[in-house]
Amino acid sequence: MFDVPVWQQLYTEINDENFVMIVVAEDTGGEATAGPIFDAANPTYVQVIDPDHLVSSAFNFVNVPSAAWIDEEGRIVRIDEGTYSKIHTFGEGDQAFEFGNDVYAPAVKDWVAKGADSVHVQSAAQVTGNIRQHSADQLKADAAFRLGNLFRAHGQEAKAERYWEMARSLNPDSINFLRQDLTLSEEGSAGETFFGVMGKYMSEGKDLYRPLDIEKS
Amino acid sequence: MAETMMAYPELRHPFEATPVHSEGSTTVLYGGNAVTLTDTGSGDKLLIDPADLSRINGFELKPEGACRGDLCIPLPDGALVEQDGKGWFDLTGFAEHVGQPYVADVEARVWSFSDVPATRDDMRVNAMAPDLALTDRSGEVIRIADLKGKKALIVTWSSW
Repeated sequence: MFDVPVWQQLYTEINDENFVMIVVAEDTGGEATAGPIFDAANPTYVQVIDPDHLVSSAFNFVNVPSAAWIDEEGRIVRIDEGTYSKIHTFGEGDQAFEFGNDVYAPAVKDWVAKGADSVHVQSAAQVTGNIRQHSADQLKADAAFRLGNLFRAHGQEAKAERYWEMARSLNPDSINFLRQDLTLSEEGSAGETFFGVMGKYMSEGKDLYRPLDIEKS
Repeated sequence: MAETMMAYPELRHPFEATPVHSEGSTTVLYGGNAVTLTDTGSGDKLLIDPADLSRINGFELKPEGACRGDLCIPLPDGALVEQDGKGWFDLTGFAEHVGQPYVADVEARVWSFSDVPATRDDMRVNAMAPDLALTDRSGEVIRIADLKGKKALIVTWSSW
């Protein structure tokens, strides 16, 4: 969510009527949760709140933030990277830590300016190689997640949790499903469970994102 | 794809506007769509009025099969069922035929379907963006397919 206002800065800088920026909140909390964060950024880009995680499902993303570049012909020319708008720094002194990168936003600008001539545009083969393939179980997990959302929207928490658990077990690679579920727990989305799963995830050699193969210009 | 993600900014989740298990009704989820059916066949299979298919998942029945856009999938044997003097389309049988997983809560009469895998082939094989329809916060529907002629960056985030 720290990127929400920075995407607006980038969108303002690019200022190209043939460029569309669509920023999507993957959030079952809906407008109540994501709306104020959008509003604080005074955005002019397209804002979507996606409680069913349809965008992550359609592009087979497992985590946020992630993104796709779509060219004028509707072809994806980059996909599924850790798409941070800048390096974010938190804390001070020994406690300071950073995350994000400072190469992705300049790459977007370069692509909008140069189109297919941008060095950051990938071939169809590179892109299809980076698109995750969803198994039948992972597709079924999407259906289970939405079924849970329906019951939660109607206050049927036991059923909601049953189907979210089903989604998590059918698609254990989805950090989105895991952390969205953990928002309802006491420990929250960045507690012991999350870090435990992440440790296992990394040790098994799984990737949250495809490599961000962008050299600093 | 059928228009997804109805805009209900006053609601926590668009599905709040969809009744669950009201008298005799059946609910079908596909993408962000929730469709309430008042007329379905009986039994374990989900038998729908063929006229309801397009509002569920955007497919229409044609002589060559179930079609959406350029995609036409021939129907399996038994897709059209006669019951109580009425013709039904076996939606669960069709899902099994096309390898489309689903989860059903039979008690509440809700069927939740994943995407039809064939609708994802153009992305998997040719890197073409999926035919996704999104509703923005102002209620406007943005179809990725309608953005042709422009470059688009679609980027996710979350509060959690």
